[in-house]
Amino acid sequence: MSERIYSWLLRLYPAGFREKYGEDALQLFRDRTRDERGFWRIVRLWCDLLLDLAWSLPQEYFYLRPEFVGATPLHSTDGVPSFYCLQPEPLRPGAVLFGSVMSSLAIVMFSILLGYPGKYTGAGAATIGRIGGDTEFSEPQRTETANAGNKPSRAGFGGTPGLDAAERRRVVSSAATIIKTYYVEPESGKKMADALLEHERNGDDDRVRSGAALAVLLTQQIRAVNPDRHLTVDYSEAPLPEQPDGSATEAMSRYREMLKEQHCTFEEVRVVPRNIGYLKLNSFPDVSVCREIAEQAMASVNDADAIIFDLRSNRGGDPAMVMLLASYLFDHPEYMYNPRENTTEQNWTRSPVAGSRLSDKPVYVLTSTATFSAAEHFAYDLKMLRRATIVGEKTAGAAHSGVWHRINDHFGVGVPETKAINPFATADWAEIGVEPDTKVGARDALTVAEGLANRKLRKK
Amino acid sequence: MPKRKLDPLPASAFQILLALAGEDLHGYGIMRQVAEQTEGRMRLGPGTLYSSIQALLEARLIEELKEREAENSLGAKRRYYRLTSAGRRLARTEAERLADLLRVARAKKILRGDYV
Repeated sequence: MSERIYSWLLRLYPAGFREKYGEDALQLFRDRTRDERGFWRIVRLWCDLLLDLAWSLPQEYFYLRPEFVGATPLHSTDGVPSFYCLQPEPLRPGAVLFGSVMSSLAIVMFSILLGYPGKYTGAGAATIGRIGGDTEFSEPQRTETANAGNKPSRAGFGGTPGLDAAERRRVVSSAATIIKTYYVEPESGKKMADALLEHERNGDDDRVRSGAALAVLLTQQIRAVNPDRHLTVDYSEAPLPEQPDGSATEAMSRYREMLKEQHCTFEEVRVVPRNIGYLKLNSFPDVSVCREIAEQAMASVNDADAIIFDLRSNRGGDPAMVMLLASYLFDHPEYMYNPRENTTEQNWTRSPVAGSRLSDKPVYVLTSTATFSAAEHFAYDLKMLRRATIVGEKTAGAAHSGVWHRINDHFGVGVPETKAINPFATADWAEIGVEPDTKVGARDALTVAEGLANRKLRKK
Repeated sequence: MPKRKLDPLPASAFQILLALAGEDLHGYGIMRQVAEQTEGRMRLGPGTLYSSIQALLEARLIEELKEREAENSLGAKRRYYRLTSAGRRLARTEAERLADLLRVARAKKILRGDYV
């Protein structure tokens, strides 16, 4: 067997080398395998051979000199020019077979790596428990699909083997239907749906054994067609409620509890030296739960001479909270463009806010590559309105929000359904992120922003 | 098309010349001789070995012995190689060059001891 492997490897050498020394090389291999016995010696032998291959193969091709063949010189004496040509080296069936096997292996390995969920860093495939913090869905509108009646047994999910083919097909087909029906750009929606169904037909999904991995794989397949980061297939190990009624659902109440426990993700609110207000906000939480805390936070920095919003770890959230906080920063209603919502009334700030002294104070927004969705909405609009200086790194680039559709007890799809017209002359932050005014590493952003604020205040 | 480079002489080619300085050898014999004379530090793989042999043949530093093709117990033919006089001269020149280097190294007190 090992000899056969080595003879295959020998086929990697140019034909000229193989013809001259192929048999000798094989003989040398036989001699060594005969003389070098024992596990470690065999390991050493193979290490030698592979190193030798890596070293000598490029050299052989570098020094490759094709043989000249052609008419004999006798024919050229009668005045008719004769031509020499390089001997062509047709592909042998063995080489074609070897190439096919290696290509298939590479494709299989690549697919396995693609499907490996552990390292996947995309925003998709969020489990339902994280919706509030991570993605910017509008109020969850959970739609029963035609397949909702097929309740899978719980034993078949949760990372345990047993996601059967029929169930997988139902999930894929439902996800495709939902995306095709609801995605904001129907043509792209159709393409994504077709891609999902084609992958299913081709058996690309067959190797998936768990619900979570299927959600990741389907999200990848969708995003290969359209990189919209708000398009997600989600998986929840806990059964999803069938008929949620907005705020009354268990998930929503859990989310609210969590928000309260985390002080509505206002991680830090303080006034730093030189009377600069500093707010570290890690999401834009639900206004209906967090209005009071947000108002308290803004009140506590109301007397500051400048204000820094630290959104470096902000994963987005409720656009209404974006509007609430932005309202403090203007002395008249200002239009805040939101690509997720076509409505106009809600996109105007409620400025001026009674008692706010922040409407004319310098504003700095700290960003990082993790600044996501609603946080980008906040940064983008304040930048476009020239109301804030953005300091830090380019943001993540997640622009469209999705309406969440329930597929069955465990799966759902987030689909962006609206797209508003941008009043600003430049593209919004979809896929490209918000470019900072002052580009610095996220770690240094606070120091730099403080420096900028200090300089500005000193000039006054 | 580039010609195989033997200037400077690669270590593998020099070791092959040295291996053949004692006796005519076939490929595996050369490999074993090189391993022995380098105390196992250099184990020539088939690719490097025959690539070097090809280069040395082209430069006429070694030659293939047409009259001596031995069959081993399994009936496989082995090609034997012999050092030519040009090869012997080159090996000597290279050895002298290395000896000069050693002398310099010793003069600079990089090397200690009595060897060479």
